[in-house]
Amino acid sequence: MNNQQKLVDAFCEALGVAPDMVTDDLTYNTIKEWDSTAHMILIAELENTFDVMLDTDDIIDMSSVGKAKSILSKYDIGF
Amino acid sequence: MITIKQQQKDFYITGYSVHLRPVVYSDLEQLREWRNSAFVSKQMLDSQYISAEQQAAWFMKVSRDDSQYHWIVEYQGHCIGSTNIKARHVGERVHTAKELEPGLYIGDPDYQGNILAFAPTLAMYDFCFNELQTQSFHAVVKATNQAAIKYNQQLGYEIVSQQKLLELSLQKEAYERQTVMLKRLLSRTRQS
Repeated sequence: MNNQQKLVDAFCEALGVAPDMVTDDLTYNTIKEWDSTAHMILIAELENTFDVMLDTDDIIDMSSVGKAKSILSKYDIGF
Repeated sequence: MITIKQQQKDFYITGYSVHLRPVVYSDLEQLREWRNSAFVSKQMLDSQYISAEQQAAWFMKVSRDDSQYHWIVEYQGHCIGSTNIKARHVGERVHTAKELEPGLYIGDPDYQGNILAFAPTLAMYDFCFNELQTQSFHAVVKATNQAAIKYNQQLGYEIVSQQKLLELSLQKEAYERQTVMLKRLLSRTRQS
């Protein structure tokens, strides 16, 4: 499974949304499934999936799927 | 975990990635701009437009009023909003009141609806519960303001009265129990 697929799976698992909803411009707090509680679950899911520990600024900055990819890239996760 | 610096009657609070400093006169125009914005004003119980004169009068009043305290919220050196506490009962001082009413708005559009919006509240509540020995918080929100209701419930608030306005109450134990994960996420340090 490539990193893009892992990322989509992590979002689906954390937010409870279908894979086709996980596009780069899907944004935090614009759908009811991605609220602050789901955001915390998402952070844990991404950290477990990619074996990283995000810092607070990255957690705050992770406002969309596209942003999640660029943040994970800083941790040497390629997409 | 927060750090508190006191200068005379002023408190400066740092924690959860934000810094709270007392509102000063030069902040008034920025605060007024935010307070009059559609995003902020629609959440307020009083959403009337605020003039520069009203804002200045408000500042003169609160500067001499020890029943309330107002901070500017800074993140990464930039002002992003404002938070405050007020004694719930007339005649009480904010530093000794057992019950406080909180207020918060995030004025910077980049952080509205962001998880960062919890940070100033966590810092302020830690300060109140642990330093001022506040016993509980009491919040009043419009029953239509689902975002504020969810936000408060995330902090441990429970609904105590439900009409056109919703009244919520927060005890320290519920706050500590409910905010463990939020606090962990908002107090991590940069790895590199």
